[in-house]
Formats: sequence, C-alpha cells, structure tokens
Amino acid sequence: MRTLMAKLGYSAAGLTVCAAVLAPFVLYGMFTKGFASLGLHVDEMYSGGPKVRTVQAAGYTIDIHRQVSPHMWQREKPFVQLDWRPVSALPAHVSELVDIDGDGQPDVRVTFDVPRDPKAPLRVNVDSLNPRYEAMRNVGKQKFSDLIVRVDDAILVRVPVAQ
Amino acid sequence: MATKVLPTREPRSVRRSLLLTLPIALWSALMFTPGFAQANRSQRIASAITIVFMVVLFFMMMRTWTTYRWRRWFFVALGLLFPVGFIHTVMVMRGTMGIPIEEMIAGRTPFCFLPIPLLILPAALTRTLVFPGSILPNGGMSGGGMAAMAAIWLAVTIVVGKGWCSYACFFGGIEEGMASVAPNAKLRKLDPRWRYGPWAVLLAMVLLSLALFEPAYCMWLCPFKAVSEYVAARSTVGLIQNGIFVVLFAALVIALPLLTKKRTQCAFFCPFGAFQSIFNKTSVFDVKIDKTRCTPCVLCQKSCPTMSLTEESIAKGETLMSCMKCGACVDACPKDAAVWHIRGTEVAVKPERARLMFLYAAWAMAIMFGGSIIAQGLATILHLFV
Repeated sequence: MRTLMAKLGYSAAGLTVCAAVLAPFVLYGMFTKGFASLGLHVDEMYSGGPKVRTVQAAGYTIDIHRQVSPHMWQREKPFVQLDWRPVSALPAHVSELVDIDGDGQPDVRVTFDVPRDPKAPLRVNVDSLNPRYEAMRNVGKQKFSDLIVRVDDAILVRVPVAQ
Repeated sequence: MATKVLPTREPRSVRRSLLLTLPIALWSALMFTPGFAQANRSQRIASAITIVFMVVLFFMMMRTWTTYRWRRWFFVALGLLFPVGFIHTVMVMRGTMGIPIEEMIAGRTPFCFLPIPLLILPAALTRTLVFPGSILPNGGMSGGGMAAMAAIWLAVTIVVGKGWCSYACFFGGIEEGMASVAPNAKLRKLDPRWRYGPWAVLLAMVLLSLALFEPAYCMWLCPFKAVSEYVAARSTVGLIQNGIFVVLFAALVIALPLLTKKRTQCAFFCPFGAFQSIFNKTSVFDVKIDKTRCTPCVLCQKSCPTMSLTEESIAKGETLMSCMKCGACVDACPKDAAVWHIRGTEVAVKPERARLMFLYAAWAMAIMFGGSIIAQGLATILHLFV
C-alpha cells in the first residue's frame, strides 16, 4: 500500500511539473476560453445594461439601455443609460427629447454641452416629462445611477428612475 | 529568520548545479525570447537581466541546497518592481492613479487576483461579476481581462497551491522586504489568534460583497491600493477609503513587518491568502516535519513568516494549511527535520527529490508570471537611462 501511495504521489508530482510546463502554452488559453464561456456578465451597475433601442438623429445616434435595478443592499438607485454616439460628430450643444420607454411620448429632455476638449468636465440637465424618471440639475460624475461621462467618443447619461 | 542558520551540508558541485539549472535556463529563454523582436532596447535589456537574475537564483538554490533566501530576492524584486511598471502604465494611459468612474463604466479597471474569492458567490447566484472590469481584453488598463487573470491564477494554483503567495503574488514582496530589513524582531510575542484574521476578513468581505454587490475588499480594505491605484477621491467617502488604504499599508506592509519580521499582511489580514490556503489541501507538494529528527528547537516556528507552525503542528509533523511553501522552516532547521514532501510518500525519504520537483514547477511559474512583471518594471526604470 505504501509503495502504491508513493507511486501515486510521484506520478501526481510529475503531472504537476508537466502542468507547469504546459501552463503558458495550453492551460492558460484553455482556462481563459473556459472562463469566458461560463456565460457570466459584468454587473449592469457598471456596464449600464444591454442596449434595447437606437434612435437616429442628425450626425449621431442615441442608444437606450434597459433599466438597471440595484441588487439587495446596493447603494444606488435604478437608472436608465442613454448613450450619445457620433456618426459624424456630436453638436456643440445637445437638447433632446428622448422617449425612453418607447411609447411614442417623450419622457425626458436631456440638455448638455459638448466641449471640444475631451478632458473638460461635463454637466447635464434632465427635465422630467414623465414622473417615472427623475429630473437632474447640473449633474456631473456623481454616482453610478446619476451621471454624465464621456467614454471614448460617446457621451453617456444615466437618468435615475423614481422608486 | 531562516538565513541565520545555514545547513551544515557541503555545497553541491558547480557542474551538477549547472546541470540541474539547465532546464530553468532553457525555460527562461523560451519565456522571454519570443517578445524580443517587438521589444525596444530597454525592454530587451530588462528581459536579459531578468533571465540572468532568475537563472542565477535557481543555480544558487541548487548549489546551496537552500530555498528561502534566494526565493526572497526574486519575491522582493517582484514586490518592488510591480508598482513601478504598473504605476508608470497607469500614468501614461490615464494620467492618474485614481480610477475614474468612466473607466469603470467602460470596463477598463485592471483586475488583480485579490477579488477572486469575493466574486464567486455573486457569480454563482446571479451569473454576475461584481467588478467594474471586462471579461475579455477591452483596451485601456483592462489588460487581458478578468478571464486572463482567472486563468493565470487557476494554472498557478493547480501547480503550487498556496505557493501562489510565495512565488506569484506581486504584492507580498514589499512586506517580505520590510521583514528582512531589521536584524532582530522588536515585537516577539504575537497572539496566535491573529492567524485567524485572514479567515475573518475573508468571511466578512465575501458576505459584504454579496450584500452590496461590489468588490468590498477593493473598495474599503486593500492596503495595496496605496501603491497601485485607488478610488478617485471626489467625495468624503472617497477620501475615507483612500485614508484606510494608506493606514493599512503603513501598518501592515511597512511598520509591522519591520517590527515583527513576519509577513503581517499575509499572516493576519489577507483574505485571498485564506482562500488560497484551501488549495494547500489539493496540492501534491507540502512541507512536513520528520518527528524522528526533530529535537524540537522550534527554530522552524520562529522562522516562519506567516506563523504556519505551532508546537502542536510540529508535534504532529505538519505545517498549518496557511503554509505558503516559502522554505524558511526547511532552511532554518539545523537537523534537516523540516523537509519538502510529496503527498503519499514517506516523510524524509528523498526530500531533495521532492524539493527539486516542487522548485521546477514553482520556478517555472515564477518566471512565466513574476518574471514578466519584473522585466516590465525594470524596463520602466531603464527607459529613463537607455
């Protein structure tokens, strides 16, 4: 029995050394693909949730995302993310009526300036035309549920949803 | 520490040591030469220095029959050079060490291994990763994405188990360096109950991460935020978070290792270390005490940087599950009673064979993962001069 256990031990140790040699060539790629195929996704509080509709405008598009709701004790409000993405370029000033829920009626008016300097701070005003969505006054980067930020060439606005 | 008591054994012959080092030299060349064509001059020099450094350290391990003091050179270099390379990259790419909220939304927060245990429960229950990164590479500081870091962690863990904390962790080297500065410990009496600290932090952080749906340790307690990247302090809460990071770093990574000559952050606080201890049970390599040779002088217990040996465990001939296979106790033992061991085999039967097999596996991983980090940090410094 002792000999068998010793043989098994040395075999396992040998396999471990082989695994070390294979790690950068086989295991690393295999594990990366395996992890990526698990069907996990990054929390929507960070990613903004999946896009549900795109509204075409002159020179840019507005992507409307699905409403994101906080989990258990997450310290954020529910929100909807709207992305202004340039097709050619964003105008210097945006004032847009946006139909978030797709019922044909505008829900919010979103107003912000687009400074030429990509590092310049952004401020947004949101007028609520539907009590479901909260108004925002002169908001910058405050919380994940309540902000305007530039990500690459797009401008993202997150409008809080009334609870 | 371990370096005080040297083994009485004669050094291994140079020729035999060179022969034993040859596979590692070839492995180093294999790991670093493919990138040579695209590398600039400082990167090539850094890679060459790293290869020589890693090969020489392995040669010395072979020649002197000792492990800890040579591994420590690698580990301290890794701990010191990781922040150099990382902070330089962060400053070049985004101009600040604070993580801007837009980078989190874009999924470009670099993912280190520390939050891995915190992500498991939310992922299992909701298929959601509560970290503002990306699963696959996504530009900016996202690196290889969370999948790449998880893959490296899994590969290294399969090979060395808790040995991750001695051969792969790019944070622990700072405190190991601090622990080796003072000649003697000023604080000698440490309450053994402190060693349950990492488990308490792990439990609290896992539950908090599940409840708040955020990587709570990264947000509130990680001491290494002080030397990597931190929460952009736009509010009082952000200032408090950063204050906690700095205080924990100063206390656990600088002051206490200097006073105790222990890796106090690892031994008393690190939740990842506690999580990684579980994989000591699955690893084929471990360290045992040969009870027939043990006197017991408890030099091994004194030398252990993570308090992974107690009088009870020595009497049982075992290390605790928090043992990170650094080799300090093996090198410290004047009777060769503390030995490297392969599970299933008899204790102290061909311990050098067990050490060699472990070291080949561990050093291969160290070169692949830590070596590339050392080379990047060195290249950053060399870039200033070359």
